[in-house]
Amino acid sequence: MAFLEYLSSPSVQRTILVQSLEHIRIVGYAMLFAIIIGLFLGIAAHRFPPFRGPILSVTSTFLTIPSLALFALMIPIVGIGDRGPIVALTLYALLAIVRNTVSGLFSVDNAVVESAAGMGMSKTMRLWRIELPNAWPVMLAGIRVSTLLTVGIAAIAALVGGSGLGQLIFSGIRRIGSPGALNALLGGTLAIVVLAMLFDLLYLAIGRLTIPRGIRD
Amino acid sequence: MTDQTNDAKQYDKETAIGGDAQVGETMIELRELTKRYPGEETPAVDRVSMEIPKGEIVVFVGPSGCGKTTTLKMINRIIEPTSGSIIIDGEDVTNIDPNHLRRRIGYVIQQIGLFPHITIEGNVGTVPRLLGWDKDRTNARIDELLDIVGLDPSVYRSRYPKELSGGQRQRVGVARALAADPPVLLMDEPFGAIDPITRTRLQNEFLRLQEELQKTIAFVTHDIDEAIKMGDRIAILKEQSHIAQFATPEEILTNPADEFVEDFVGTGATLKRLKLTRVRDIEVVDDALIGRLDEPREDLQKRLNESEWTAMLLLDKDNKPARWLRAPDFRHDRPAAELGLPARAMVEKQATLSDALEEMLVGSAGVAIVVDGRGAFEGILDVDSIITSIQTMRDADAEFYRAAKLIDPADEVA
Repeated sequence: MAFLEYLSSPSVQRTILVQSLEHIRIVGYAMLFAIIIGLFLGIAAHRFPPFRGPILSVTSTFLTIPSLALFALMIPIVGIGDRGPIVALTLYALLAIVRNTVSGLFSVDNAVVESAAGMGMSKTMRLWRIELPNAWPVMLAGIRVSTLLTVGIAAIAALVGGSGLGQLIFSGIRRIGSPGALNALLGGTLAIVVLAMLFDLLYLAIGRLTIPRGIRD
Repeated sequence: MTDQTNDAKQYDKETAIGGDAQVGETMIELRELTKRYPGEETPAVDRVSMEIPKGEIVVFVGPSGCGKTTTLKMINRIIEPTSGSIIIDGEDVTNIDPNHLRRRIGYVIQQIGLFPHITIEGNVGTVPRLLGWDKDRTNARIDELLDIVGLDPSVYRSRYPKELSGGQRQRVGVARALAADPPVLLMDEPFGAIDPITRTRLQNEFLRLQEELQKTIAFVTHDIDEAIKMGDRIAILKEQSHIAQFATPEEILTNPADEFVEDFVGTGATLKRLKLTRVRDIEVVDDALIGRLDEPREDLQKRLNESEWTAMLLLDKDNKPARWLRAPDFRHDRPAAELGLPARAMVEKQATLSDALEEMLVGSAGVAIVVDGRGAFEGILDVDSIITSIQTMRDADAEFYRAAKLIDPADEVA
C-alpha cells in the first residue's frame, strides 16, 4: 500500500515525530493555562453565585467562535507563531474545565462539607482537603474532554504560522490532487488521532494514581 | 424494682415539682439566642434561653420547622446567631474564632458526613490533626476510639466509608466527634437515618458510652420516644424554638405543662414509660442455670435434671450465651453446641424495658438474656419482672397524684 510505504520512509517518520512533539507542546501549554485559569474560575463560580452565570456564559461563548477566525484574530494581538494558537486553545479548553469544576464542587455532599466545618476546618482547608479531592474525578473528566478537543483544534495553528501536525495536513491540502498529497493529509490526521489516544491513556493513568480508592467507582 | 431506683425516681419527681431543680454546674448556656433570616418577617429562632447542665443529655424535640436544628447549629455557630449569646463552660463564645470553638465541640449529624475520600483512620483523626497532636498520640487515640465504638481497629482503620454499613458509619461518626475528647457534643438526629433495629442498638451503646464519658450533650430529634429514651432532660419546642416545657422525661410524661406538650407526647404514656425504665433498674435473675459449651454432655444433663430449672443456658468460652438446652434435647446424639435452640433475645443493661419486651416477643423463649457490652452473660430477664415493674410504676404514680392533690406545695415542709 502506498500509505504504508509513505509512513515507512525515515524522513516522513522524522517529520511526524518532530511535528507531534510540537503539537504536544502547544496542547500542553494551552492545557496548563486552561487548568490554572479554569480551576480559579470554577471555584469562583461555585463560591460566588453572582459570578456563576457570567463565567459560564463567557466561557461557552468562546466555544462558539469559529476556530479559524479566533486563530486569525490572535495574529494582530500576539503575532504569528505558536503564541496565538496557545491563547486560542486555552480559551476553547476553559468551558469543560470550568463547568466540570463547578458541577464537581456541587456534587460534593453538603453533609460532608458541613461536618468538616463542624470539626473546625476553615473555608480554605475545606476547599483543599475536602471539596476539591471529592470533586476531582468530575474535574479530571472535564480536563480530559478539553484536552481531546484541543488536540484536534491545534491542527489549525499551522495556518497562522504555528507548528504542530497541522503543517503536514495543510501541506497535503495545498497540494491536493498531486501525488503524495493524500498521504500527508492522512499521515497528519492519523498522528493526531494517535496523540489523542495517548493523552487519553495518560489521563486514565492520572485518574488511577490520583483518585482515592474511597471515591473510585 | 430496687429501693435505689425508687429513691432516684422520687428525687426526679421532687425536683420536678420544685421547678427550680438543684442541678450541677451549667456547661452550655444560651441567652436570648435569636436567628433571623434576611427577608423573613418572623425569626426562625426567637430569644431562646436555656441552661444545659454538665454531663447531661438535653434533647431538643419538636415538630419539624420548630427551629430545633437551627438552635443546635447556633451552639457551634454553623449557623451564626443574629443576636443573643452562647456561653460554654463560663466562656462567652459568641464572638470567638468559630474554627477554634468547633474543635472543642463534637458534632454528629444525621447524614454523618464522613469524608468519602479518606480512610476511617483519617476521618477519626481529623480533629487531633487539626489540633496538632503528634502522630503516635493520634494513632493511639484512633485505635482507642474505634475500640470504644465497637469496631476492630485492625479491620476498619484502613477501610473507606463506602465499605461500611450505615450503622458502622454512624459509629465512626461518633468516634470522629469524640476524637479530641471534647467536653460538649452536639448531635442532630444522629440515629435518624438508620434502620430501627440498628438504631435501638446504637442508642443503647451510646447511652452506655455516655455513662463512662459524662459529656454534655445537646441532642436534636423529632421523635418523642427517642427523646424520652435518650434525654436526662427534654426541651419540647414550639415554633421559633419557644420552649413549651423543659424538664425530665418523667415530669413531661406525668405532668405535661400544657396542651401542646400533651399532644406532642401523645397517648400511650404507660407504654412510653417502659422506655424510661432500663433493664439495669429492675431485678434480673442472676442465678440462672448455666453450662459451658465444652462441658461433657453427661455433666450438663445431670445438672439440669437435678435442678428445678426447665432450661439451661450454655455459654461459650467468651461467656457469650450460645444455646438454650431443655431436658428432652439430650435425646439427640449431638455435641452440646448443636443441641437445643440458639440463644437469642439479648439485651444490654441500658436497654429500656420496651426494647427488652420486644426482644422477648421476637426471641420466642419468653425471656431476654442480659449481656454486657462485650456480649458476655450477666443475667436473665423474664416477662414477670417487667409486669411487676409496670405495676410499681402505676402505684407510684397513683401515690404521687394523691399526694399532689392533698398537699398544697406552699405548705409543704422543706
